[in-house]
Amino acid sequence: MRFRARLAEAALYGFAALILAALVHFVVVLSIPLAAERDAFARVADLGPAPATYPLPRVGPSLRRFPYADPAVATAVCRFDLTNGPVRVLAPTGRSGLASLSFHSRRGAVFYAMTDRAAAHGKMEAVIVTAAQLRALVAQDDEDNPSEDLRIESPTREGFVLTRVLSELPDLYPAAQAQANTLACTPEPASK
Amino acid sequence: MTTIVKAFFAALVGLALGLWTTQAMLAHGGPFETVSLGPWTVATKAGALDADPYTRASLERSGEIPLALGEGLQLIARSDDSGRPLEAGCVYKVGPHAPAARYWTLELVDSEGFPVENAAGRYVFRSSEILRESDGGFSIYVSAAAHAGNWLPIGAPTRFALVLRLYDTPLSATAGGIEKAAAPAIARERCA
Repeated sequence: MRFRARLAEAALYGFAALILAALVHFVVVLSIPLAAERDAFARVADLGPAPATYPLPRVGPSLRRFPYADPAVATAVCRFDLTNGPVRVLAPTGRSGLASLSFHSRRGAVFYAMTDRAAAHGKMEAVIVTAAQLRALVAQDDEDNPSEDLRIESPTREGFVLTRVLSELPDLYPAAQAQANTLACTPEPASK
Repeated sequence: MTTIVKAFFAALVGLALGLWTTQAMLAHGGPFETVSLGPWTVATKAGALDADPYTRASLERSGEIPLALGEGLQLIARSDDSGRPLEAGCVYKVGPHAPAARYWTLELVDSEGFPVENAAGRYVFRSSEILRESDGGFSIYVSAAAHAGNWLPIGAPTRFALVLRLYDTPLSATAGGIEKAAAPAIARERCA
């Protein structure tokens, strides 16, 4: 009888510990995105002020900043802040193997991406807008002469744009980096 | 008195267990929303707006800038075809075919996703630079000692992983869009 009582008590404490473990687990998992100060956006922000373009250093064993990045691919980033209006993104395509453009929210999600297959006239171009800015632009649009801009709505006011340029051969890496560095993010003029 | 001690002990165990399971799950990106392709796994929702909390937390923590679905797919292998973990003392043959893509690259990374220092300074192979058989197939040899042909050096890590990136691929990671036969095999040849 005493043995069974002890067993029941042990089971009770064990159960309580398990419940607590599950609680801790879920709280930690859900709170990491809120607390993470070393996420991709923070690491990009370290490079310098917006909206300038910054090349990311060539991926190698000595530089441990962005994990799971491709050493064959040259990259450059620019941050955007839509507080004062839309931001135009321009990335010329070159003779490299492949170039792409991806749009990242403040929280790290990719809200749009394109490759140079979608490029027109030798460049990838888009305008990043907030939902309110998009409504304003659509209201302004001339129906007979529609804007040719590709407008992309960002879920967050801040974020960053990244261009990836693949080098077909190791020797072509500097050329790929030079092409990536031509990425430009410029705030749109207030009204036109 | 003893009740307090027991309750304290149970709380401690619960806390430790909760933190440990969180760490263990996030270390490998979590088991959620991945598709397996032989030894390769694809985190299908990495960087997506509707990513699950585990995928999001592990990205935020690592600072990784994920490849967008529109740009390509990233496949990671931590074991060979037979399910044995990849070991630095073994020789692996990767090939002979890769899924359809405009370009692909094969990289060797440590457990945190960074390239591993090696004397040859070779961290990655591009589809555009490898030596191929007359039928278009390829073999990339992953080993610590120099190997004839396409040699991807292991360097000296205890644990490593292989990363296959498919750029501009028609494959979709969702709902069985990836055919098992298309992925390169990772065959363990011999071990020291």
